[in-house]
Amino acid sequence: MINVKNVSKHFANETAIDYSDITFEKGKSYMLLGASGCGKSTLLNMIAGILSPETGSIEIAGEDMSKKSQKEKDKFRIQKIGYIFQDFKLIPEMTVMDNIGILRLEKVDISDVDNVLDSLEILDKKNKKVKHLSGGEKQRVAIARAIVKKPEIILADEPTGNLNFSIGEAVIKQLIEVSKGKTLIAVTHDERLGKYFDHIIDMNEVTGGRRDV
Amino acid sequence: MFKFALKNMAIKKAKIILIIISIVISACVGILAYNISEQVDSGFKSTAAYYDMIIGPSGSSTQLAMNTMFFTEKPLGTISYEYVENLQKDTRVNKVVPFTMGDSYNGAKIVGTSPDFLEGKSVKKGCLYKEKFECVIGSAVAEKYGLDIGSTLVTSHGLTAGGHAHEGNPLTVVGILSKTKTAYDNVIFTPCETVWATHDHGGEDEESHEEDTTHEDENTKSGHTEDEHHEESDNHDHESEDADHGEGEETHGDHGEVCAILVKSKSFNAYSQLSAEYGENSKLLVINPSEVLREVLENVDMSTQIVYILCLIILIMNIFIISVITLLNMYDSKKEIALMRLIGIGMNKINLVYIIQNSIIGFISTILAFVFSRICLMLMGGYVASMGIVLDVAKIYPLEIAIMAVVFVISVLPTIICTLNMSKKDGINE
Repeated sequence: MINVKNVSKHFANETAIDYSDITFEKGKSYMLLGASGCGKSTLLNMIAGILSPETGSIEIAGEDMSKKSQKEKDKFRIQKIGYIFQDFKLIPEMTVMDNIGILRLEKVDISDVDNVLDSLEILDKKNKKVKHLSGGEKQRVAIARAIVKKPEIILADEPTGNLNFSIGEAVIKQLIEVSKGKTLIAVTHDERLGKYFDHIIDMNEVTGGRRDV
Repeated sequence: MFKFALKNMAIKKAKIILIIISIVISACVGILAYNISEQVDSGFKSTAAYYDMIIGPSGSSTQLAMNTMFFTEKPLGTISYEYVENLQKDTRVNKVVPFTMGDSYNGAKIVGTSPDFLEGKSVKKGCLYKEKFECVIGSAVAEKYGLDIGSTLVTSHGLTAGGHAHEGNPLTVVGILSKTKTAYDNVIFTPCETVWATHDHGGEDEESHEEDTTHEDENTKSGHTEDEHHEESDNHDHESEDADHGEGEETHGDHGEVCAILVKSKSFNAYSQLSAEYGENSKLLVINPSEVLREVLENVDMSTQIVYILCLIILIMNIFIISVITLLNMYDSKKEIALMRLIGIGMNKINLVYIIQNSIIGFISTILAFVFSRICLMLMGGYVASMGIVLDVAKIYPLEIAIMAVVFVISVLPTIICTLNMSKKDGINE
C-alpha cells in the first residue's frame, strides 16, 4: 500500500503543487489523468524516490520514503519499483539484453528475462540494438526492464505517449497483463485506455494544478 | 561490472581509440627518449672504458676517439710505429694495440690492427688473422657481399667506395665475426702489415726511418707512399701526409705508420705518467677515451634535455587533452548516468563502471606505449649501432616504469575526480 499524505512540492520556477491525500492499494492498477503540469509525473517521481516532497510523507508498505537518504531511495527503487519512462530511457547503442542487463550492476536477478521478453513478444529482438527497434518495441523493452526484477510497484509515466493508439493500446494490455498482482500506477492523457485499469484518478482534482509561491 | 564497462566502451570505440592513440604517442615519446639516452650513455661509457689512453696525431680529441672506438670520422693522420714499439717495451703498459685506417671495400672500412683489438669479439666462422693479407670481416660485410672463408676481396684506396683499387694485393677472408649489432659488423680487420704492404710501405722505394726518440717530426715529415694515391682518390684522409716523399720517418724497419695507438696501462699512476710523457710531444694527441666521450655525452645530454623538455610539453599537453577528453566523455555520459540513476543504480556502482573503463583505457595505452617504444628501439638499433652501441630492447629502466605509472594515473584521475564530484551531489537532477 502507498499512502500520500499532505505532500507538496516546490519548483524552481516559483510554483508549487499541493496534493490531497491519496492511497494506492496493493495489487490494483491506477490510471492518473490530468492536464499537463498538474503534478502527475511529479507524484510518480516522489513515489520512486527520484524527487523529495517538501512537506508531508509518502509511505510505501509502512516505510516513509521522505526520511530515506538518496542511497536508500536508490536501493529501494532498484529492489521494489519498476519505473517505465515516456522516453524509454534506454541506451540506443546497446542491445535489448544489455539494456536490461544494466540491472546486474546492482545484482538484480534477471534470470526470467526470456520469459518476460516472450510475454511482450520481443524475444526475437533480444540481441538487437535498441536504435534499430520501433517505438512500440522500445516501449516494450522499457516495460521488460521494469518488470523483469519482479517489483512490487510499477510506475509508468505516459508509457503510450510516443506511440499511436493501436500500438499504445497493445502495450497497455501487455503492461496490465504482466503487472497482475502488483501495484501499477500509470500516467496517461488518453482516457480511452481507462477501461483497462482498476481505478482512474483525475489529478486535476487531487492537486488543483500548480500555484504560484 | 567489468563486462558492462567493456560493453559501454564498445559503443564508443572511435572516441576511445582516439584517446588511446593520444596517450600512447605521448607516453611512447617519453619512454623512448629516456631509454635511448640511458643506453647510449652507458654504451659509450662501456666502450670507452677498456682502453685508458689513445695516442694519435694532434687534432680533434673527439675525432680521434670516434675514429678508433666507433670507426666513424676520418683518422687525424698518422704517427710512427716506433711509438708502438716503445710502448710495447714499457713495463707500465698492459696492452698496446696499433690502429690504422685508410682503405675500404665497397665502402666498408678496413682497419689495420693487431688481433688484440678483437679481444672479446666472438668469431662465428674461421679464425683470427695471422698473416699479412688475411682478414676478419664483420658479419654485415659478409652478409652484404656474400663473402665466406676463403673469399678474396680487392680493397680500394680511401674510406668510401670508388677509390683506386689495390688489385695486386687482394685480402683473403680467414674469419667472420659474430653479429654484434655494432660498428664492428661493418668493418674489415686485417694486420697493419697488410695496410702497409698494400701501400708499399717499407719497401725498397722507401727510405728507412731515422727519426729520433722524441718523434718531433713524424707528422710533418711523412714519407708515406700512400700519397701516391692522393690524386687518384679524393677519399684519402691521411691529413698528415705531405709531399715530402722519402724524407719521412714512418718506415721504421718493416713498419709503416699508424693512425692511432690504443693503450691499456697497468695502473692509474702508470696512465698518468704515460699521458704526461706523450702529452708533452706537441705532434701527438693523447686522450682518455672515457673523458672525451663524457664530453661528447654532455653535448648529447643537451640534446637529450631538449627532447625531455619537448616530451614534458607533449605530456603536459596530453594531460590537458586527456583531462578535457575525459571530462567531455563524462559530460556526454551524463544522460547515461542519469538513466542509470533513474532506474535505481547507485552512484558508487556508476562511479566504478567509469573508473574501470578509464583504467582499461589507461592500462591498454600504457602497455601499447611500452610495446611501441620497444618496436622503435628495435628500428633505431641499426642507426645507433653505427656508433658502436647495441640497444637492448629488453632493458627497462625504473624511470620508464614511473613514466608508465604516471600515464596510467593521468588517464584515470580525471574520471575519479569527476565521479567523486557527482557522488557528492546527493539526489537526482530534476
